[in-house]
Amino acid sequence: MNLLKVDNVTVSYGQLTALRNMSMHIAEGETLFVTGPNGAGKSTLLKAIAGVVTPREGSITLSGHPVAGTAPEDIARMGFSMVPEGRHVFGSLTIDENLRLGSAMRRDKDVAARDLEQIYQVFPMLNDRKDSHAGVLSGGQQQMLVIGRALMAGPKLIAIDEPSLGLAPKVIDDVYAILLKLRDGRGLTLLIVEQSATRAMLTGGRMILMRGGEAVLEGDARELTKGNALKKAYFGYGDH
Amino acid sequence: MTAILQIFFDALSLGSLYALGALGIALIFGVMRLVNFAHGDYIAFCVFAMLWPSIDAAAVVFAGQLPVYALIPLILAIGAGISVLSEILVFRRFRNANPATMMIASFALGFVVKYTLLLMYSSRPKSIDLWSNLSLPVEILGARIPLLQVITICITIIVLLLLTVFLKRTRFGLEMRAAAENFTMARMLGVRANRVIMLAFALSGMLAAAVGLILATQTGTVDIQMGASIMLVAFIATVIGGLGSLPGAVVAGFLIGGASSLMQVILPPDARPFKDAFVYSAVIVTLIWRPNGLFTQNSAKQRV
Amino acid sequence: MANHPSILSRTISTPIILVGVLLVIALVAVGAGSGPFTRTIVEMFIRVMIVVGLYTFIGNSGVISFGHIGFMCLGAYATAWFTIPPAMKKISLRGLPDFIAQHQLPFIVSVILATLFAGIFAYIFGRILMRLSGIAASIATFAMLAVINSVYSNWESVTGATSSIVGIPMRTGLWTSFIGAVIAVIAAYAYAISRSGLALRAARDEATAASASGVDIARERLRAFVISGLIIGFAGALYAHFLGVVNPDAFYLGLTFVTLSMLVVGGMNSLSGAVLGVVVLSLIIQVLRWLEKGVTLGSSTISIPNGTQEISIGIIMIVILMFRPAGLTRNTELAWKGWPFSRVSENNRSP
Repeated sequence: MNLLKVDNVTVSYGQLTALRNMSMHIAEGETLFVTGPNGAGKSTLLKAIAGVVTPREGSITLSGHPVAGTAPEDIARMGFSMVPEGRHVFGSLTIDENLRLGSAMRRDKDVAARDLEQIYQVFPMLNDRKDSHAGVLSGGQQQMLVIGRALMAGPKLIAIDEPSLGLAPKVIDDVYAILLKLRDGRGLTLLIVEQSATRAMLTGGRMILMRGGEAVLEGDARELTKGNALKKAYFGYGDH
Repeated sequence: MTAILQIFFDALSLGSLYALGALGIALIFGVMRLVNFAHGDYIAFCVFAMLWPSIDAAAVVFAGQLPVYALIPLILAIGAGISVLSEILVFRRFRNANPATMMIASFALGFVVKYTLLLMYSSRPKSIDLWSNLSLPVEILGARIPLLQVITICITIIVLLLLTVFLKRTRFGLEMRAAAENFTMARMLGVRANRVIMLAFALSGMLAAAVGLILATQTGTVDIQMGASIMLVAFIATVIGGLGSLPGAVVAGFLIGGASSLMQVILPPDARPFKDAFVYSAVIVTLIWRPNGLFTQNSAKQRV
Repeated sequence: MANHPSILSRTISTPIILVGVLLVIALVAVGAGSGPFTRTIVEMFIRVMIVVGLYTFIGNSGVISFGHIGFMCLGAYATAWFTIPPAMKKISLRGLPDFIAQHQLPFIVSVILATLFAGIFAYIFGRILMRLSGIAASIATFAMLAVINSVYSNWESVTGATSSIVGIPMRTGLWTSFIGAVIAVIAAYAYAISRSGLALRAARDEATAASASGVDIARERLRAFVISGLIIGFAGALYAHFLGVVNPDAFYLGLTFVTLSMLVVGGMNSLSGAVLGVVVLSLIIQVLRWLEKGVTLGSSTISIPNGTQEISIGIIMIVILMFRPAGLTRNTELAWKGWPFSRVSENNRSP
């Protein structure tokens, strides 16, 4: 059963077409990597799913419900959580407030409270400073915070845009380790936009390569990164 | 000593008025990046509402005859009402417009409100007797301070406390603070855009009503231009305080009020009429010294 | 690039069209013949000057200035000082220095000097303010307006404080104001197509990239600020000679917001928007005024109740902005070939 289905979506910013006839899908429990060069439309894809931009054409369905053009807050209530590029913690709020904001819309307050405890267990360094303002955290810590915050909404599908951006390799390893642990623990469906194809290969899952606003390659992450097809599609030329 | 005390209370009560005004502007600016130039006219609207339905030159205060505990909530509700109505009828359509357009739209709205009042009430300032016994002085530490000044300061402190509790301890307050910092991100976490914005407008409207009540009691007149001078200072204070910073707006309001009162005293008598010129020059100096305002957000800087 | 047509030849149609529009209006006024109507048109031409001056700074820099009407005040009072008969100055303006108080300059000389006076202050204020950016600069201009208003409202011996000073020769008629408006349009246009104008617009749209390309943003802004100050000072001088009296209140918040509204409703980033904003809104205001008095069509009289004129114009402005948030001209220019030399619009064809 497809948790998310994007069908022939076109998104334009004025004259600039960022997504053209983009189609993709994710099944429940899958981990999908979306990779591709700058300007390929990866972030726009995520923004379209999240409801931040409205497609000119095409449809997007979450668990069978059409969501194109719906307000972001309503899409969030349908079990979709997004961690946008650049982390975007609420710097003037404390860590605890950032996390609790993530669960603000949930009705099951007891489960939410337990979730909060669990997040603090998984991210002990957040627990240590939970009353500090989020603006003073380091890059890696902020990344952990926004992942934790997205999880606090109790979503079925989490989309993360460039989790590695601006982080040191060791930190990226930590982030991914925790992400995967949480995924397995809760049965999450993950959609990750990742510049580094290597990371996709290490993690495993399916991968889509985007270029020029559309999907040009799709397949198993490990297989694709080993072969030449990826290089060819990424750079436009192949075997050397 | 008594003179200093009197100046102190002067400064504090003027600053309170400016702080309340600035808070009303800053609340909406925080969530919508809109400077609501109609705010001054909301102030006038609330005061005129007390006169309804009388339009005589010497105002027979209809609603103003109500006992305190009924009048104040009523006027606050009216303030919230006209503010929220503006959002629903006008500002909602301008959510994605550029700042200049929103600003002119708010000015045009204020224009409409002002001239509607003019149409209904005529332009002559009317006298109003609203709790005039409050201008009688009380003795504090040997100085004679008008009771109204003390009340203004107390009301402001109470308002600030209530607002702080609301923002820091309630879920709605949390949502508003998040929305003020990053509106889109807040929405992606499920914060309902319309609700947060309407809340901001309602609170802002209530603040306008409070300012109106204080001004009417203070000056004993009801006049279309009542909110205009407060509006100007409020706008400036919001920016000097640091955009999107509520504490900043409040502090800046007090500072400007303090500077104005101080100038009244320390300037030589010949220069006193030019008090405003000095205060506004100080504003310019402050901006050059701190272009981003006194309290800037310490969140991550935008990457290019 | 030798065959590339110059920017002048590509865009010259815009100012020509705008001047044409103004000329038509002037001829209509001549044809209508009535005194009050001509006065309305003169006021409109002066407002065109103001709004065009505003555009020169605001449209090119993207910084909203609330303070420019202050320059109008400076220009108006300056020409008043130079042209009021010495006998009157001796009585009402005792604080004026002798070389002004004892002389009376001819109209054109005075207007030029008054314009320069405003320009000098624009330079002084500009040097202080142009390092600020965005909202800080806007508020600083607001403060500047307040300072000017405070000084002029209180310096009794030099400005007569809040009383109006009278006795200014009334020399601004229909054609004088028309010429003023034409000069303003040409000056604004010349600035806009200059290197400085182009650099400033680049900085408006993308400050970091412009700065990295070597644009000295503060210096270009200062240029625009001074030129706009000159234009508006000029407008102030002509206005003084139109009314015959000056008063600080006329140059404060009311006029500031009316002119800013006309600019934004017309289209903040385009010269055509500036002119059109004034023309269209003035037209609507005039129609509403007539409606308030009552208009007879055939056998019936249409009229709107007294006092609804202003309410209507406010509502109309809101409605226009709702449907055209970028203004009536949508930030493009009126031209023969549709060349938008301001903000790139959706209609731009790629080369």
